[in-house]
Amino acid sequence: MQENNKKLMHGYDVVLQACHDADVQSMFGYPITPTCEILSGWMASGKKCLQTEDEIAAGFAVCGAVLAGEKSFTASSGPGHILLQDSFSMAEAMRLPAVLIIGQRGGPSSGTVIYSQQEVILACFGGNGEGLRLVYSPSSLDELYLLTRQAFNDAWQYRFPAVVLTDGYMLKTRQAVDLSVYKDLENIPAHTLVQEGKIVHWPNIYTLEEELNDELSRAKEDFDKVGEEIAKAEIYNTDEAEYLIIAHGIVGSVAKMAVDQLREQNIKVGLFRPVTLRPFPKKQLDNLFVKNNVKKIVVVESSFGQLARLVRDHLAPEIDVSFEYLQKPGLGIEVEEVIEAVGYMT
Amino acid sequence: MILKILLAGDGGQGIQLISDLLTQASFANGFFVSQIPNYGLEQRGGVSLSFLIISDKEISYPKFTKPDILLVMSEQARKRMDRYQNADIRMQIDDYFEKLEDQKIEKSSYNIFFLGLIAKLLEEKNILQTEQVYGLLEKKLSKKPNWEGNKNAFKLGIAD
Repeated sequence: MQENNKKLMHGYDVVLQACHDADVQSMFGYPITPTCEILSGWMASGKKCLQTEDEIAAGFAVCGAVLAGEKSFTASSGPGHILLQDSFSMAEAMRLPAVLIIGQRGGPSSGTVIYSQQEVILACFGGNGEGLRLVYSPSSLDELYLLTRQAFNDAWQYRFPAVVLTDGYMLKTRQAVDLSVYKDLENIPAHTLVQEGKIVHWPNIYTLEEELNDELSRAKEDFDKVGEEIAKAEIYNTDEAEYLIIAHGIVGSVAKMAVDQLREQNIKVGLFRPVTLRPFPKKQLDNLFVKNNVKKIVVVESSFGQLARLVRDHLAPEIDVSFEYLQKPGLGIEVEEVIEAVGYMT
Repeated sequence: MILKILLAGDGGQGIQLISDLLTQASFANGFFVSQIPNYGLEQRGGVSLSFLIISDKEISYPKFTKPDILLVMSEQARKRMDRYQNADIRMQIDDYFEKLEDQKIEKSSYNIFFLGLIAKLLEEKNILQTEQVYGLLEKKLSKKPNWEGNKNAFKLGIAD
């Protein structure tokens, strides 16, 4: 049974609590399901907020706020997420600590309003740039809280824009959670990026191609260095694993339940769940093949292979393993389906 | 103990409201709960679902394929619920139409009748007391139009 200090909270309340605890000062946004309650909840808190005319304006307002030294964020989904790529590409180019909460919904276009995992590539690489941004994928309400806190900290510490990539199932679900256990988490404070009275030339436009190339090379070097510190995965029950399920976000928690039940049937299966999608926890994945004799990777996701693309891109080319996929774009995945799919392969 | 309840009806019938009250009452009694809505773009008229799990252990995934209790409040919802033939207890509005009409329960209170019915079931399973649910209902709706009708619908539900 639950203990006394648990509270009944929606996913969006968890995000809001994380933003308040991270000492976030402002939000700019345009309402879209399933992230409306983040905007309305922030407004109700009385903190600085503006509902802009669209997501383009919201994203640039966040860029402006962080340039002025304010911890700021926006929240969106689907078509709004697309419009945010313009400002987010600028945040990437200028190394601005903008934070974006994404509740994935089904697409293309307006699609469905609650759930999918179809915004993975968009979140990771959706701009005219190189995808030098941090993308986190929480699998539970506790992790949604922790990664939202971390997104602000990492953005301000390493100066890359950060995306908390979740979905409407997570944001609209209501569960018993106890966030009081995280009360000692520390914040990286916001700071003024340009001193008052100083004139700084800080471009996101370059007249020379060489200049842009130099700038990008520097940023990439930083990104790779940061990656070693923050790339993270949950590795579960992989001892002697012959089959490795790879899943992220809420599907990751489903896959974990499936692993438990499959192990009870003596099927040697484990889970690799990337917690950060950008930077991808490549080393942790490659290392699993040093000790184990994994025969098959099974990528499970609510999309036609967006996570699978990331996995295949990052897995060291000399690793010899075959792939299977369980793909249900726009649909939730149930434990029984994962068990059946893996059971069938064995 | 884990109990999975799937509530299905048309948008506007009050599916999310009754799910909300059942969640609150179960949580107040120390159970882990998970509640997740599912609906389309429509504000009204589309199918509205609520997946509700009540358990004495922590819950990690809010959806499921096999409900223990399934409520179907409309024809449109019935079609969507065809894949859940496996429910242990299935409540269909068609089976109660006569009774609801006899007792002059208004359409807008049908959900409250089923709230009573399910609360009674959960009371039998020692999850909550029907008075708790009634208390929450009173708090939510007693200042709103047709409270008498809703009150009667709830009483009829728990008496069924």
